[in-house]
Amino acid sequence: MGAYLVERLVFLEWIRTLAGNEQVYFPQPLAESSFHFARVHSSSLLALEDFDDPHRTTIFRASACVPPPARILAPEGEQLFTFRRDGAGDCTLTPVLDSSRRILAGVRPCDLKAIALMDRFQRATIPDPHYLVRREHTLLIGHDCLHPCDRYCFCDAAGSLAWREGADIFLTPQPGARLLVEALTDQGAVLLAGAGFPACGEVEECRARAEARRPDPFGRRFAASLDDVMAAVAKGWDADVWQEQSMRCFSCGTCNLVCPTCSCFDVRDDFSVEDPDSGRRTRHWDGCMLENFAVVAGGHNFRKSPAARQRHRVMRKFVYQPHRFGGTSFCVGCGRCRRQCTVDIDIFEIASELLAAAGEGA
Amino acid sequence: MKAMDPRILTPAMVRIVEATDMTAHERFFRLRLPRPLRHAPGQFVMASIPGIGEAPISICCGPGDHDRLELLVRSAGSLTMAMQQLGAGDQMGIRGPFGTGFDLAEFEGCDVLIVAGGLGLAPLRSLIEPLLAERNRFGRITIISGCRTPADELFRDEMRAWGRAPGTRVIRLVNDTAHLPWDGEVGLVTAPIAGLDIPPATLAVLCGPPVMYKFVIMELAARGLAHDRIFIDLERRMRCGIGKCGHCQINHLTCCQDGPVFRLSAVEALPEALA
Repeated sequence: MGAYLVERLVFLEWIRTLAGNEQVYFPQPLAESSFHFARVHSSSLLALEDFDDPHRTTIFRASACVPPPARILAPEGEQLFTFRRDGAGDCTLTPVLDSSRRILAGVRPCDLKAIALMDRFQRATIPDPHYLVRREHTLLIGHDCLHPCDRYCFCDAAGSLAWREGADIFLTPQPGARLLVEALTDQGAVLLAGAGFPACGEVEECRARAEARRPDPFGRRFAASLDDVMAAVAKGWDADVWQEQSMRCFSCGTCNLVCPTCSCFDVRDDFSVEDPDSGRRTRHWDGCMLENFAVVAGGHNFRKSPAARQRHRVMRKFVYQPHRFGGTSFCVGCGRCRRQCTVDIDIFEIASELLAAAGEGA
Repeated sequence: MKAMDPRILTPAMVRIVEATDMTAHERFFRLRLPRPLRHAPGQFVMASIPGIGEAPISICCGPGDHDRLELLVRSAGSLTMAMQQLGAGDQMGIRGPFGTGFDLAEFEGCDVLIVAGGLGLAPLRSLIEPLLAERNRFGRITIISGCRTPADELFRDEMRAWGRAPGTRVIRLVNDTAHLPWDGEVGLVTAPIAGLDIPPATLAVLCGPPVMYKFVIMELAARGLAHDRIFIDLERRMRCGIGKCGHCQINHLTCCQDGPVFRLSAVEALPEALA
């Protein structure tokens, strides 16, 4: 497929050049310690971590950027269709499908996995054309992690660290401020073919060198296997942990919004102020932690308490979605929900407590 | 998995050919479809007015290779309120049909007990019509329909006509006559169940407000009807109909894909199904 050994700064310059002609997204610093995954412009500050810098002073927390790359594939407020009403009052509706090409670069293994899971979810039963058309025209440039992002990361425990599926190109940091750049798909190979990068003749060695650099354990570890965790969560419906961990929850929905496998939405209609005979239907990020998410006509709320909503969120990640979509945990261990939570509610702790409780019960 | 339909979230604009107020809050619509929906009884459509909004609405006409679509819309929010203003000649946006409905083959030869509370009669009408259309394929049919007052009763003339079909009994109830003329019974839909003959091969079908299910199920359980012989039609606020928006999720199930018609035995263990 093609593998290259490229100086990091040369690669970043190539990304910037690509961005001159097409939509390229990359993690970028937003404030002192936070990164967002955003469109690259000529003035964008691009950086990648250094193999030789174990303290990671040159790179920050780009790996856990917000919003997660998966959200670029289902953007907030995306149009589903536009409409126009004629003189007789009849409407013509035109679906909006975004087939412009995008490149999402610097996507970490946890986010590659999240996108693969969203692909599976969006293709299932009745496929969502708006997501899938955008996805079909999106290239992914993955980036390996040699260090956990911070003390909240548990990607290895969640089975995400080795994930490559979905990446068209994959980057692995190498000593001497270089990157191993591998094409994993034909589309990735085509994109790299014109870059003029020097070929790499020792791909296996480069990979092994990077892997040896990883600390062990890599991030937080569950006290048992991921399968055991998922089984423990499934058995935890009546556990006290839901109430204990939700007493301080504001139901702000941040955990939903930053989760790379959350995709729930609400739908809204608008007409133009200037021309009320035209308008659009759009969809908007929604979250099951918000108070009114499960309200039905007549006012009944099927998940009235924060504890019930917390349980639904955690069950959805470890039990419900895996049950329907191929058995893989939909929590990828990125730690974003814990990191962004204003009251420190931690899905890892919740799962760990349920695991401990299941152990006592056995 | 189905093939991708690029218009699955874009409604077709369908002409309304008849619109009448059935009560002060519910308006009945008959639409003429460009092509038959070929829906199963119990399925729903997403109905909308572009610029205003979209909501799941049960199909209330029987299935078949016809171009008719009938909906009963209760005024509950801004969209359904706006729909009360639509009349013959206007258009309504329609997507679907969605969800799983009833399989009429399973009803063959069985006694059928239908219990409807309020607006629950609308989706059940899509089942009652085909049952009565081929009356001799099925056993005895009992329909219990309850509503608050005589002014809230839906499909009154049709219910009277259903009751005249051979082997068919219709029990109409109100909670309160509210000083209005009333030729049915007064009480809750649970009350008549004790007096019915319910052989084990009966199929029971329930649709109504959440609180109704609990008491009707208790009543049917007391009569020994197995839970895989009881169907319930659940309501959730679906936004998409294609299993993506998350709003209708009931534990690991989605109401728009696995329902809205569920066998009680399939959902009774799910804590979020009925409460």
